[in-house]
Amino acid sequence: MEELYEILEELQPEVDFKTATNLIDGHLLSSLSIISLIAELEDAFDITIPAVEIVPANFNSADAIWALVQRLSEDD
Amino acid sequence: MIASYCVPGYFLVILPLVALAYQIVPRQHRRKLLLLADYAFFFAISGKLLIFLLVSTVSIHHIGLWLESFQTERDLAVKGAERSERKQIKAVYKGKMRGVVTLGILFHVGLLLVLKYANFFGSNANALLGALNLPFSLPEFKLALPIGISFYTMQALSYIIDVYRGTVKPDRNLGRLALYMSFFPALIEGPICRYSDTADQLWAGNPITYRNLTFGAQRILFGLFKKMVIADRLNPLIQAVFLNYQDYDGGVVALAMVCYTCQLYMEFSGTMDVVIGSGEIFGITLPENFRQPFFSKSISEFWTRWHITLGTWFKDYIFYPVSLSAPLKKLTSNARKKLGNHFGPMLASGIALFCVWFCNGLWHGSAWNFIFFGLYHFVLIFCGNLFEPFNQSSLEKLHINRQGVPWRVWQTVRTIILVNFGELFFRAHGLQAGLAMFKKIWTDFKLDAFASGDYLVGIDVKDLIVVIAGVVFVLVFSILHERDVSVREAIAGQKLPVRWLCYYGLILLIIIFGAYGQAYSPVDPIYAGF
Repeated sequence: MEELYEILEELQPEVDFKTATNLIDGHLLSSLSIISLIAELEDAFDITIPAVEIVPANFNSADAIWALVQRLSEDD
Repeated sequence: MIASYCVPGYFLVILPLVALAYQIVPRQHRRKLLLLADYAFFFAISGKLLIFLLVSTVSIHHIGLWLESFQTERDLAVKGAERSERKQIKAVYKGKMRGVVTLGILFHVGLLLVLKYANFFGSNANALLGALNLPFSLPEFKLALPIGISFYTMQALSYIIDVYRGTVKPDRNLGRLALYMSFFPALIEGPICRYSDTADQLWAGNPITYRNLTFGAQRILFGLFKKMVIADRLNPLIQAVFLNYQDYDGGVVALAMVCYTCQLYMEFSGTMDVVIGSGEIFGITLPENFRQPFFSKSISEFWTRWHITLGTWFKDYIFYPVSLSAPLKKLTSNARKKLGNHFGPMLASGIALFCVWFCNGLWHGSAWNFIFFGLYHFVLIFCGNLFEPFNQSSLEKLHINRQGVPWRVWQTVRTIILVNFGELFFRAHGLQAGLAMFKKIWTDFKLDAFASGDYLVGIDVKDLIVVIAGVVFVLVFSILHERDVSVREAIAGQKLPVRWLCYYGLILLIIIFGAYGQAYSPVDPIYAGF
């Protein structure tokens, strides 16, 4: 989880990812940031994130992103 | 039969008759009645071209079942396999399913290309062959277009892609899929529905309730107000100036451009109010297509508030799949290391954005001005993303508060101006006319016509006053919606005399101020042509 926070904070330092729960719905993560984030997550955790997983429920908070990473790691 | 939802034949005859019959028949037969109404409606407008809708529906049903058979085979194979083999089995079936879904996509896109774009591509190819002095040309076809093909094709594609992705279970019931593909209020101009949002609602056959009936009727009335009081009243001026722009100075051309943007919004969002209100009567929640777009602070925000179902379709089925395709992901990964977090993903997202906006332009029509319209938005959004850090640092240096009211007002005004220029090309009779009109605004801008009164082309001062009052009326509702105030709930919470005073008041406003009758030619449903 700490590694995820590091990735997120490097991507958008001005956002408090530990408390934010509306990253997509609140427009804190743009489509451009999502593309960057996915590339970084895939490299860091050796997973593949398909386009179908890009829904607000999976990216609205750091916890949701972490749950997605864990689920995809298990699938792989 | 006129293919429009804003004509009395629809809201006073077809809709009430279907609603009445729907309520009378037993619940288990309502879905059949609805499907019969859908197909009769389609047949009344497009006749034998109903076959295309049928073929499309049957094909997605078949593709769904085909994908399901592979999914079942895969799950069985995975169950009985060693852990080390599972990944390989999944990859084999993924390849097979990808083949099936690609076939389905090619079939639907191919059908759309042939029916809608064959002449456009043919005439451009012939122009090119002529320019190269080659002694042959392609034949021209006069193909009739089934009503709503651009909309139901998007629905068909989203269904098969969602089944492939595993987010939707394949539907074995052909009737339910047919209902999803053809709900008559949404057939001509959308909204573009997703199977997971509307299929079960349509199939349920829930009874019409008093609340749904009154809420649906309210929404329809508001849509008719936008269409008949504002959009139709502006039509003579827009038609005249766009057809003979050479006869007017840049000031009048600019006025026609602003009037057209207003007309397009009132016509399309008004029709959507009628469509969504019709769905509401049957207890069906159709997706919203507009969310106060003229309060947007950037072009990219504007497109999350205008024709929302088209925008989300392109985002889900083109933008993310393209930008997250293996080669572009690799590109993003490498570029980020060299160019950083902001500029790194710019190239991949630029390619994906280009695909989205090229398709968006082409989707609107088979003409160069539509392609230009799409690429105009691509350039604006891409540059907006690219220069964001520069923009931010400039504002900091100039001590401009990004959250302050003056800056936000400027952003909104800037967005409205940019949208207006885009719509100028959208409405123009061809790209050349669009460019000439654009040039006129900048090189021949005069206020003489406003001083002499000649700016009122085809309309008079009374028309203008009605339009301005109507726009203010809609604007007040938009401001309240933007502040999450539900006017409809507020009215519904009033006592009966007050409620009916509001309803009758709106009906009277439409009857008194609506532009109808022999003196007016109402604007054709703009999006029905797409």
